[in-house]
Amino acid sequence: MNEQVFSGIKVAEFAWVIVGPSTSRYLAEHGATIVKIESHKRLDTLRSTSPFAGNRPTVDSSMAFGRHNPNKYSVSIDLQHPNGRKLAWKLIQWADIVTESFSPGTMEKWGLGYEDVRKLKPDIIYLSSSMQGRGGPHSGYAGYGMNAVNLCGFTEVSGWKDMRPAAPHGAYTDYISTRFDALALISALDYRRRTGKGQWIEQSQFETSLHFFAPPIMDYQINDRIMERDGNRSPEAAPHGVFPCKGDDNWITIAVLDDEQWCNFCDAISQPGLAKRKEFATLADRKRNEDELEKLVSDWTKRLMPDDIESRLQEAGVPSHIVARPRDVYEDIQLKERAYFVPIDHPVMGKQSFEPQSSFILSKTPRQISRPSPCLGEHNELVFKKFLGMSDEEIAEHIADGSITTELPGQFKVSM
Amino acid sequence: MDNSEAQSALSPYLILDLTEGGCMIGGRLLADLGARVIKIESPGGSPSRIGPYYKDDINPEKSLFWWAYNTGKSGITLDITRPEGKEIFRDLVLRADAVLESFEPGYLDGLKLGYNNLREIKPGIILTSISPFGQNGPKSLYRASDLTIWATGAYLFACGNPGRAPTWISFPQAGLFGGAEGAIGTMTAIWHRNNTGEGQHVDVSMQESALSPNLNVLQMWGVSGVEFHRLGGALYVPSTGVQQPIYFRCRDGYVMILVQGGNEPFISSSARLVKWMEEEKMAPDWLIRLNWQTDYDATTMGQQTADRVGKIVERFTLTKQKAELYREGAIKRKIMIAPVSTTRDISEDLQLESRNYWEKVHHDELDGSIIYCGPFVKMSETPLKYRSRAPMIGEHNDEIFGHELGISPAQIDTLKQKDII
Repeated sequence: MNEQVFSGIKVAEFAWVIVGPSTSRYLAEHGATIVKIESHKRLDTLRSTSPFAGNRPTVDSSMAFGRHNPNKYSVSIDLQHPNGRKLAWKLIQWADIVTESFSPGTMEKWGLGYEDVRKLKPDIIYLSSSMQGRGGPHSGYAGYGMNAVNLCGFTEVSGWKDMRPAAPHGAYTDYISTRFDALALISALDYRRRTGKGQWIEQSQFETSLHFFAPPIMDYQINDRIMERDGNRSPEAAPHGVFPCKGDDNWITIAVLDDEQWCNFCDAISQPGLAKRKEFATLADRKRNEDELEKLVSDWTKRLMPDDIESRLQEAGVPSHIVARPRDVYEDIQLKERAYFVPIDHPVMGKQSFEPQSSFILSKTPRQISRPSPCLGEHNELVFKKFLGMSDEEIAEHIADGSITTELPGQFKVSM
Repeated sequence: MDNSEAQSALSPYLILDLTEGGCMIGGRLLADLGARVIKIESPGGSPSRIGPYYKDDINPEKSLFWWAYNTGKSGITLDITRPEGKEIFRDLVLRADAVLESFEPGYLDGLKLGYNNLREIKPGIILTSISPFGQNGPKSLYRASDLTIWATGAYLFACGNPGRAPTWISFPQAGLFGGAEGAIGTMTAIWHRNNTGEGQHVDVSMQESALSPNLNVLQMWGVSGVEFHRLGGALYVPSTGVQQPIYFRCRDGYVMILVQGGNEPFISSSARLVKWMEEEKMAPDWLIRLNWQTDYDATTMGQQTADRVGKIVERFTLTKQKAELYREGAIKRKIMIAPVSTTRDISEDLQLESRNYWEKVHHDELDGSIIYCGPFVKMSETPLKYRSRAPMIGEHNDEIFGHELGISPAQIDTLKQKDII
C-alpha cells in the first residue's frame, strides 16, 4: 500500500457522538491514526442507538455507531478516575491532535483543557466543539444536532406553507459542522508544519452551521424579509418539485431550469402543445401559474414508475432523479462505480457495509476504509503497549484500579 | 496588506476558483483561512449572482448570495473558451496551488484545460472538480439541480410529512456540501503535495455528501430491513414503531422539546418540564405521576402514551412565546428545548451577540458596512479573517492581468474589446 496522505498523524479523540468522530474520519481515510477514548461508564450515545446487527443490541453491535467510526482504535478509560486521567495525558502526549465535544468546561474540570495541555505540549492542535461555544449566556446549553437544526433556521424553512414545519431528519447540523472542523484541522496542521505552532480551534456548531443559511439571514437583515418554507418550490425554476409516481410512496424530482428545458420537458411528456401555451411560456409565467403547472406535471408522473420518468427526462436533457429510498441507495449504479459502500468483517457484527466520510476521491491517494468500527476498548493492549510503550504490569494496575474500564456498570440499555 | 497576514493558516496558497452556485463556498472558506483566492467569472458576470438582492434591487452587483459566498476573494473576468483567454488562464495556473471547478465532467478536458493538460503546465497542480455524481460513471453526465441531487441519497425521502411529498430545505444545500468537500479535498491534496511534490485530481461527488446527513437511515434498512418513513419531525423509535411528538406549537411559532424518557439526560429534562407545568397549574395528576424512566421508555412504551403526553405538553406551550420557552425553559431550567428560529430570531440571538459573532465588512460603493455571518470557528493562533467584500464584476482585472501577469494596458483594452476579459 502506498504511503497515505496523513500517515503518521495521530489523533486522540475524546469527542463523541457525531461531530468530532466524523471530523477525524477525513484524516483516518487518508492514513492518520485515530484513538477513541471511551468508557464503559459513559457510553457514546451512538453505541446504544439502533440498528443493531442481528437485532441483538449489545455495546458492540450498533451500526449507527459503526457508520461513524470505521478505521479507528478504541480504548476504554474512566476519566473520572485520577489514574484514568494519567492515561489520557499519555495519549495527549502521543497525539498531534486532540478533539473533544463535551459541554464547555468539562475537559477543563479534568485538567485536560487546552490551556493545561498547551503548557506541556505547545504544538498541540486542540479542537473543542460544542453546541453554542464558550462564553455567553447560552454556553452551557447542552444538546444534539437535533437542537441546532432548529436554532439555525433550517426547520422553519422545511415543509409546507399550510402545515407545521417538518424538521430535517436527525442531527442535520452535525453533518455541516464536521466539514468545517475537518478543514480547520488540516489548515492548522499545515500552519504547524510551517511554523511549529499548535493552536486551539473552538467551535460553536450553531455559528458554523449558519454559513449554510447565510443569504436568507442577510435578506432579513437588509430587506426585512423573513424566509418561509415553500414545499419544494424554487424562485429559480418551474416546474421544480417532488412529484408522485405509480406505487406506494414513490416520488420523482424534476427541475426545469430554463425555457429550453421547458420545451424539452413538454416533448418528453408527449404534450408539445403545452410548450405553446402562453401562461407557461417563460419562467415568470410558470411561476405565476405554478399550481396549475404542478397539477399537469403530477397527472403525468402519477401514471409512471420513478425510474422510468428519470430515464425519459434525462434523455430529454431535463434534470430529474428518483427520490431514492434506502434500498435504492444500496443498488445505486453510480455509487457502485465509486465503490462507495465498503464491505468489511466486524468481529461482533459480521460483514457490514461501511461508508466513507470523504465525498471525494483523490486520484493518486484515494480514500480507504481498511478496518471496521472498533469494539469498546478493543485496542487497549495495542494502544497502551505498542503506541504508548507501557508494560503489562502497568496496564494490569490500571485494570485493577478501574481506571481502564472493562465492564458495563449495569445492563446495556438501548436509547433509540 | 497588514502585517497580521503572516498569522493566517493558509497564507502561502493561491487558489483559482471557477465554481458556481453553492460550490462557491469552498473557495470562500479557504479565503477565510488566509489563502488568496481568485474568483474567475465569464465576461459580463457569473450566473451565480442570484437573489436575494440588496434592497431588492435586481442587479448582479447586489446579489446577497454572491456576497455571502465570495467574501475575501479577488475577482477577474476571463473567457477560458477562447485561445487568448486560455493562455492567460495557463499563466495563472503556473502561479497557483489549486484550481476549483464545478463544470459538467469533461468540459475542461474539451477545452484542453483538464487535469492532464494542467499537470503538463505544472506537475504539482491540484485540480478539484465538484460535480453532482463525480467525474466518471453511469450518472456522471446526468442533468442535475440542487433538488435532484438532494434526492439521490435517501435523505430527502426521510424529510417531510407523511402522506405528502418529501420536502427539501427551502434554501438549497447540496451545492454547499459539495463546495465544503471541495475545500477539504483540496487541502488534503496540498498536504500530500507538500510532502511529495505530487499534484492530483480531486473528484468530489455531491451525491455522496447528500448521503451524509442520513444518521442511521441507511443502516436501518441495510442491517434491520426497516425502511424509515418521514414523520414531519416526530421522533421515530425503530424498535417499536412508536412516534414521539417533539415539535409543539406555541404563541408565536414552534419549539422542539425532547420529551423523552428511558435514559438520562432525558429523564431529568422531562421531569423538569413537568415541574414547570406543575408550577403553572398545567400538569394533570397522571402526568405528575408518570415515571419517565419506566413509563416513557422508548423501547417498551405505546403510541397512546406518546400522544397523550404530546397533547398536554402542547396545551402548555401554547400559553408561552418561543423566547420564554427558550430562556426560561432551556437556559434557566435546563429543559431540552430549542426554538424553531426564523431568520429574525437568529439575527436577534443573544448568544451570537455576546460572542461577537457578526462580522462587519465594508462596501465602499454603498458607503457603509454589511453584516455577515462570522468566522466559522475561532482559531487561537490564526484567526479567520474577512479581508474584503465579494468582488464586483472584473474588479481586479487591472491588478491581476496588468500588475501580476504583466499584460500591457493596451493589450488589456484589446482583450476587453474582444470580450475575453
